[in-house]
Amino acid sequence: MKVLNRRLWHTIRGSLGQFLGMAIIITVGISLYIGITTAFFNLSQSQEVFYQDNNFADYYFYVVRAPESIMKQVESVPGVALASARIQKDVPVLKEEDERASVRITSYALPIENQVNSIQLLDGRLFSENPVGGGIEVMVNQGYLDANFLSLGDKIDIVAENKKYSVKVAGTATGPEFTYIMKDASNMMPDNETFGIMMVPLKQAQQLFNLSGQFNQVLVQFTPGADVDATVKSIEDLLSPYGNLSSFPRKDQLSHAALEGELAGLDAMSSFLPLVFLSIAAAIQFVILRRMIKTQRTQIGIMKALGFDNWQIVYHFSSYAILVCAFGALAGILAGVSMASYFSDMYAMFFNLPQAIGGVNYQVIINSLLLSLGVGALAGFSASRPVLSISPAESMRPSPPGRSSRSLLEYWTWLWSKLSSSWKMAFRTISRNRFRLVISIFGMVSAVALLILSMFTNDAVDYLMDQHFNKESSYDYMLTFNQPVKESELLSISRLEGVNIIEGLFYLPIRVHHQGQTSEDVLVGINPSNTLKKPTRENGSLIPIPSEGMIISRRTANRLGLQVGDTVHLETLMGLGPARYADVKITAVNHQLFGNESFISLPQANQILQESQLITGALMKVNSRQAKIIESQLSDMTGITSIVSRQKERDNIMSMMDSMIYMVSTMIMFSVILGFVIIYNSVIMSFNERKRELASLLTIGFTRREVAGIMWRETIPQAVPAILLGLPAGKMLADLYFKSIDFDMWYMPVVIYPSSYALAALGGVVFVVLGQWAASRGIKKLNIIELSKNID
Amino acid sequence: MDTEVLMKLNKVSKTYIMGEVTVEALKETSLDIYSGELLVILGPSGSGKSTLLNIIGGMDKPSSGDIIYRDRSLTKASDRDLTLFRRNEIGFVFQFYNLISDLTAGENVELAAGLVENPLTSQDVLAQVGLADRVDHFPSQLSGGEQQRISIARAMVKNPTLLLCDEPTGALDYQTGITILELLKKAQQSMGSTIIIVTHNTAIGAIADRLVRMRSGSIAEVIVNEAPVPPERIEW
Repeated sequence: MKVLNRRLWHTIRGSLGQFLGMAIIITVGISLYIGITTAFFNLSQSQEVFYQDNNFADYYFYVVRAPESIMKQVESVPGVALASARIQKDVPVLKEEDERASVRITSYALPIENQVNSIQLLDGRLFSENPVGGGIEVMVNQGYLDANFLSLGDKIDIVAENKKYSVKVAGTATGPEFTYIMKDASNMMPDNETFGIMMVPLKQAQQLFNLSGQFNQVLVQFTPGADVDATVKSIEDLLSPYGNLSSFPRKDQLSHAALEGELAGLDAMSSFLPLVFLSIAAAIQFVILRRMIKTQRTQIGIMKALGFDNWQIVYHFSSYAILVCAFGALAGILAGVSMASYFSDMYAMFFNLPQAIGGVNYQVIINSLLLSLGVGALAGFSASRPVLSISPAESMRPSPPGRSSRSLLEYWTWLWSKLSSSWKMAFRTISRNRFRLVISIFGMVSAVALLILSMFTNDAVDYLMDQHFNKESSYDYMLTFNQPVKESELLSISRLEGVNIIEGLFYLPIRVHHQGQTSEDVLVGINPSNTLKKPTRENGSLIPIPSEGMIISRRTANRLGLQVGDTVHLETLMGLGPARYADVKITAVNHQLFGNESFISLPQANQILQESQLITGALMKVNSRQAKIIESQLSDMTGITSIVSRQKERDNIMSMMDSMIYMVSTMIMFSVILGFVIIYNSVIMSFNERKRELASLLTIGFTRREVAGIMWRETIPQAVPAILLGLPAGKMLADLYFKSIDFDMWYMPVVIYPSSYALAALGGVVFVVLGQWAASRGIKKLNIIELSKNID
Repeated sequence: MDTEVLMKLNKVSKTYIMGEVTVEALKETSLDIYSGELLVILGPSGSGKSTLLNIIGGMDKPSSGDIIYRDRSLTKASDRDLTLFRRNEIGFVFQFYNLISDLTAGENVELAAGLVENPLTSQDVLAQVGLADRVDHFPSQLSGGEQQRISIARAMVKNPTLLLCDEPTGALDYQTGITILELLKKAQQSMGSTIIIVTHNTAIGAIADRLVRMRSGSIAEVIVNEAPVPPERIEW
């Protein structure tokens, strides 16, 4: 066997380019497998541990205010394992630089560990209920502390119930509901500078909000196997006298939904991407080995004549594929481990998970090794089968000239007769190697489709930005008031210098009832004449606000199976005053990208509330030069809870996109490598097979450039359709990807701009040209004198 | 026989460096090739006959010496010049035919015809080699003799001045070999081509107008054959 091993080594050296090419594809496949699977595993593992350690709630119940005494009854409802009462409210923060921020005050009864949605200390110490020297101690999320350049021990000024308080930061902490902190679903992403979580002892929260002995939220964990519907119903019944505003399951909790969405995406990619690369690598290896066995027929015959048995020879050829895979897998493991650590770092940045989510997953590494060796063995053994049928005597005879067959194109006689001999040669060579053609086209289609997939995130975000910032809404600032005010009060703001447009709106939390089902939603009351915020149709066009009837959010429409023309029963969940009810007809469905808002005219919203001309916030368009001054003037006004600047939101998204560049460029590089290796292998195989023919063309007077042209003619009819097919395939892939991660919090259309199609096609052209160039360098060395020598 | 000198080789040498060994394949060889003659170069394997043929055909460059083709020096010709020389002046016939397997017999001939400005018509040439009815067959569907005839047709269609044949009968049985030689002879007579046949088969020497015997990289003797024998009368 030693001799055969040496022979294997020579074979590898003789086809080093191909060997490395295939190994690189395996490397890419394995590194993606390890990188993504480890990230998925780490992320879901730390999610699970974090949720478990901190009693992550199964259900949330929001009320206006309820006495703590009711909790005894909630706890005794069958199916309830653990229940906690707390206070959670958003309050404005007063910052020194006239900037506005808000924090979500969230209270914790002591000891914290026993609470549903308990928290974990990250830095500093836990707040004390009775701090030395009085006052209030809090913990904030690390992101807020960092983004606002605060240190432990610093004070934060907040306003609660119109009173200013200076609270002291004792530490930073995180909890299972704070992995991805956003104010509400209408935000595109977290903004740590203007929104944070402030954790306070329950007693202090009760003081801040004048809710002594009371709470406004109940968090529940169910017992295993509990009848969830019945349990929820019982708790809702218990809480209904206290203004049961809203109740929702874990899956609707914002940060959980964001984390689940990411996990679903990783899960989809962890099997799909490696599968593409490994299957293409296996197919190429199969083709290469088959060819190798064909050209080495005589040598195989000699080996058999010398006494090597079938198994030894099959093993010898299969070892080539197994070595490719082993080599690729080792490099892939190294790359994959560092990729896993990059992904994990990125996720650590995205999600506030306290557990270290780095770490090498040995199971994944062992799996990847088995996977790649399996691929090698499968390709190797299946390709080596023809070895069995080679008889020593027969193999010594010179092989007949390569069989040719007619190309399908020849049935189109008109076109065929117009083709030059070199084109005819190219088409026949292509159709002679049908399996190779299928592999090449499949590979190139995949490479181009992956290019589209790599680039479309940019388009989707770009489209989203355009739709979100320029079409659905075009305001510069959104103000939220601490309580409803008369629309006429906007006059004072509109008089500020530089305010071009100001439009009032009413944010009305509602519960939509339809045929026994309910869904919670936010109804935006806005004047039909408004210009700064508009609902949109599925195709992105804007829907005017009707004077009668509502435009329902896509999510609620889906959940309740609603259609245009249906009438729904609305229940208001204001938390102030009694709940109001109204029957409203649906006039359209809003496909707005973020936030799932329903729309109604402002007068009709007031009518439902039995009020008139009330608003809870306003949208403003300002002269950009005066923006800063206006912002600071607004900050001085009391009664404004938050001022959201679009520019800041936009900047946040752009900085988030910057961190994606590494991912996107890596994927582009991988796709181009895949395409390059496919072309390189296909051309080099064809070149090696036809060296003699090509040299004979040189002797009859073809220039080397013309011979290179003949090789090109073989590639072009494969590459052009493959690149063109890759474009819609990329779109399909993107559709599939989104379908696999679809969750109803956000609506993401698959948008791919013509420029991305053009770029992907250009990428295709680049890998074709590079692959062709690298593989046809041999033409320069083609030795015509060899022709007069023997064939084998 | 015309006595115009078509090509003049003057002290042409060729050395190959193979690893650490220098092989002198051709040693200061001088030879005149006359227009329209049938020249047979005879010699055992390693005698330098194929090297001589390759240099004559512009497939290889000499290490030293001069080559004049019709008043034009090829000694320092560039690759591009040699390609054009092969394209316009030379037809090659090999021992193993070297046809393009993905082209039919007719297309193989047309491929060569497309290279020159005034080629002969493919049909005529195929008819001349007696394979007009095999025009749509692929090389794999033809016998060795038929493949060699297509190879001759492919060389002839360019209407070359020099037809160079390297062991054209080497892979064929006796009867087929004779047919091929007859075809070559006919090409010489009907088209006025200059034909050079390289072979180790001494019997073929009898059909030549001149016979060059080679040994160890040098010309041992040049014999003018006053009475060439028709191919059908030779035997081996």
